[in-house]
Amino acid sequence: MLNRSISRTLGRRALLVSASAAVLFAAALPSYAADVSGDLVLLNWAAGSEEDMVKALEEGFMKAYPNVHFKEINLTTQGDQRGAIRAALQSGEKADIFINTWPAFRKELVDAGMLKDLTPLWNSSAIKDNLSDGWKNLGSLDGKVYGVTYTFGDRSAMFYRTETMKKAGIDTQPATWDAMVADFGKLKAANVTPLAIGAKVWSHTEWFESIYEHLNGIDMAAKLAAHQIPWTDPSVKNALKKYAELIKAGCCGSADSMLAMDWDNASDAVLKAGTHGWQMIGMWVNDRAQTTDGLKQGVDYSITQFPAMGAGHDDVTSVDTKEFSEFASAANAPAADAFLTWITTADAANIVAQHGLASPSSKVDSSLYGPVIKYSSEAVNKAKPQFVLGDLLPGDLVDEYRVQLQKFLQDPSDATIDAVTQALEAKAATEYQ
Amino acid sequence: MIGKAPRWVPIVVWAVSIIWIVPLIGIVVTSIRPPADTVLGWWNLNHIELTLHAWQTVWSKYPLANGFLVTAELAGLGTIGSMLLTPAAAYAFHFLRFPFRRTLLIIIVNAFVLPQQVVVIPLFTLWRQMGLIDNILSALIPYVGLSFAWSIFLVKNFLEDFPKEMIEAARIDGCGPVSTFFHVVLPNSLSSIFAVGILQFLFCWNSLLIPLLFLRTNVPLPVVFAQIAGTYDANWDMQSVAAIVTTIVPLVIFLVFQRQFAGGALTNSGSKE
Amino acid sequence: MTAISTTSPLAGGDRRKPAAARKWWTPDTPAAYLLLLPVLALFAFAVVYPLLQTIWLSFWDIRGLYPPKFVGIGNFVLLMNDPTFRNSLLTTLLWTCCTTLFSVGAGWAIALLCALAPKETLVPRVLIFAAFGVSEAVTGYIWLGIYRADAGGLLNAVLHGIGLGQFAHPWLGDTHTAIWGLIIAYSWAQTGLPLILIFAAAQAVPKNVLEAAYIDGADSRAIMRSIVAPLSLPGVRVALFINLLGSLRAFDTIYVLTGGGPVRSTETIGYFMYRESFTQFKLGYGAAATLVLLAAVLVISIPAIIQRTREAT
Repeated sequence: MLNRSISRTLGRRALLVSASAAVLFAAALPSYAADVSGDLVLLNWAAGSEEDMVKALEEGFMKAYPNVHFKEINLTTQGDQRGAIRAALQSGEKADIFINTWPAFRKELVDAGMLKDLTPLWNSSAIKDNLSDGWKNLGSLDGKVYGVTYTFGDRSAMFYRTETMKKAGIDTQPATWDAMVADFGKLKAANVTPLAIGAKVWSHTEWFESIYEHLNGIDMAAKLAAHQIPWTDPSVKNALKKYAELIKAGCCGSADSMLAMDWDNASDAVLKAGTHGWQMIGMWVNDRAQTTDGLKQGVDYSITQFPAMGAGHDDVTSVDTKEFSEFASAANAPAADAFLTWITTADAANIVAQHGLASPSSKVDSSLYGPVIKYSSEAVNKAKPQFVLGDLLPGDLVDEYRVQLQKFLQDPSDATIDAVTQALEAKAATEYQ
Repeated sequence: MIGKAPRWVPIVVWAVSIIWIVPLIGIVVTSIRPPADTVLGWWNLNHIELTLHAWQTVWSKYPLANGFLVTAELAGLGTIGSMLLTPAAAYAFHFLRFPFRRTLLIIIVNAFVLPQQVVVIPLFTLWRQMGLIDNILSALIPYVGLSFAWSIFLVKNFLEDFPKEMIEAARIDGCGPVSTFFHVVLPNSLSSIFAVGILQFLFCWNSLLIPLLFLRTNVPLPVVFAQIAGTYDANWDMQSVAAIVTTIVPLVIFLVFQRQFAGGALTNSGSKE
Repeated sequence: MTAISTTSPLAGGDRRKPAAARKWWTPDTPAAYLLLLPVLALFAFAVVYPLLQTIWLSFWDIRGLYPPKFVGIGNFVLLMNDPTFRNSLLTTLLWTCCTTLFSVGAGWAIALLCALAPKETLVPRVLIFAAFGVSEAVTGYIWLGIYRADAGGLLNAVLHGIGLGQFAHPWLGDTHTAIWGLIIAYSWAQTGLPLILIFAAAQAVPKNVLEAAYIDGADSRAIMRSIVAPLSLPGVRVALFINLLGSLRAFDTIYVLTGGGPVRSTETIGYFMYRESFTQFKLGYGAAATLVLLAAVLVISIPAIIQRTREAT
């Protein structure tokens, strides 16, 4: 159970075997199970229950390909894991595959020539049958595929506790923005703060993003992320003004209380303490609610999709994904390719589903999903997805983005909106290569 | 202390210390409550249920026992290293005259300002090139090397009150600078050396950043602590156990050795002024 | 008393010899460097090399894994114009002064009290030192639980309990109170060190001096005030130095409690440096920030050290 075996040097035998395997299968045909072998090294930063799932996937793969031995380079990380990953890579750690959840990081690695172009593999293997083109695009950069998505999360969904909604007399979840704001009144009458926005670090940005996407569509959002439109663009200001509407409608208590809450405090406030109504947060809270808080999915709590805003872009949703990518310098490319293909199959997809997360594979057995994941995966599959801005923006800009939005929450006036967008634009001007 | 102290003194000090450790009591209590209760705040008294679940499971789920041994080894060796090398250096800086004395002292003492983060990145690349990653030396060298900044200052400060007559007496008796150190200064500086030892032990024991980056297979307790705080889970109960286990040893060490450096070897200097 | 030979090196060098003659070599040199060799070697590895590397890095614009660009003093120029950096300088000043004063002040006061009754106060001393023995990160977690905004936080719970519920506040979310909350938390942890250092110094007062004062009729309070307190000053000096420089490097407590926020109100230079170097991987910029910090400290410490080493001769 404590087998955190780490090995950084591949045995010569493994190298020889994988070299000959590469020669035999140079035509990029899918490898047969018996011929893919050796050590497969994963640069792993997942911890806790995420790590349990990764280990389950490793075991599943090793069952399908008995000649492969999975090894891990485990990074204990503090905060943003990219720092530790960069340090490891820069100092010469050798791995075959790793988990990526930041498109900005994908770009950084591609520009540094460190990721392998997976487009040939995608087009020639079972991947293209298991994952739709939507997932292909999410894992691509400039038309080339670099990551195979193995799980995704809906980031435009609001968690709530059924008991709280009942207490406030809200029988159906609001489908439109106006209905949601109207429900604020019912919640406040029941002594519940309508929204739990954890502004201590980053989760307050979720609202801005969903509002922006629903008002302007994902193409505009993508342009904003790539700095093709400036932050001072009226679309940004209008989204912020809409966000300000929520605060002026008394959604969240004082700014100080928002700034004192991190996403986990906010989750607890909604799901455990029942002092707040909704929290817009990612799907990992689903697992947290069940394990830490001991609640029952669909019974004690559920989710509802971000309401429609009537601006013609209500078929969008903000998402996050986790993908496996292969290093260009991978020592065991055939095994890595085999793994990336296997991860889209039914076996792998079902392991993901069993761990309470959604799988993008079309072969997943969706009866394994609990009600919350089922709802969210249907919502995402129906909509046009846009990756979370916070993981798309480069370097310092992300930090500035979060801090400026904190400033905005302290005083959501028009003057602040102007100041905030100007500051963001000034920062963005220096951040794009 | 000569004379009887006023009765209120121990009472006040006790009161202050009890209030002082109230936050620490929080961890102890959190370690014996189920995480579902403490997730809403450690001082949440809505539902009190005591369980030893965390204490029982944390050993098997995380390498806490191994971490304990590793930490002991690292802290022990780091402490011995500092205790051996610092007095010699402080003596040299204070009592001997040699070129660059002041410059070297300024450099060493000001190194204390460098945050660990600065030191760690270049060292990581260096260790990697030298193949020292995951080797205990990769952590020990920075532990001892970084300690000089404050340890030399501490011992040197102590030496400023060292009676010069003893040194002159030794000189007149024919001792060279090195043997003066070993025979005169060292035996009478034990209290400051123990102070360095206790502090260095503490710093090494609690050090996180260096072993986090340099050690992989066998990691010390603070790294285990960081591992227990999973990405999205709130294992407050298990984190508390790890915190308690991590804190107990330095405290015991302090208890055992505190008389050594509070004793004040100076009073035995034998000089009557 | 034996006479001090004026030609002994211990007397500060022979002032009668011409300056040029005593420059590069003294009789002590071989002994000194022998004693210093292991120290210098370890120091070279652990500090000098990283410092040189840091200086080198500060001349480059490094962003993540992209190829670095040489910018000379460009980073320093940017730093001087960066309002975030200037802000962190002010925050650092406030943070350093307050945490050092609070922790050393409290340590001094308690140490003197303990010196009055050393045996009876052993346990309290250990307890307060326990707060120092806890690692920075754990300190952060403990106080996070105390400052919690809802009633699960100790501070607010106590306020509610004693009927002062209207003062309950999201302490770490308010830019005005967050820094003070941090300062109190860190000072709480750091008091243990000055306590034991100053206590040790107070205990080291020679017994014959105390006896003489007692025989002369002074009570313990007078002894404390006029003899022990002044004589404990060496301990205070050391404690001030260690705590001052230690608070400049403080990081984990800030990281856990506020993450530099809200709205960067608790971002010290140390945190700024971490954010730039580790999170954004702008190693050059972070390195430049560290060097500015180092320079600021050198400006203060060099004169102090020169003065102290001159005194000692």
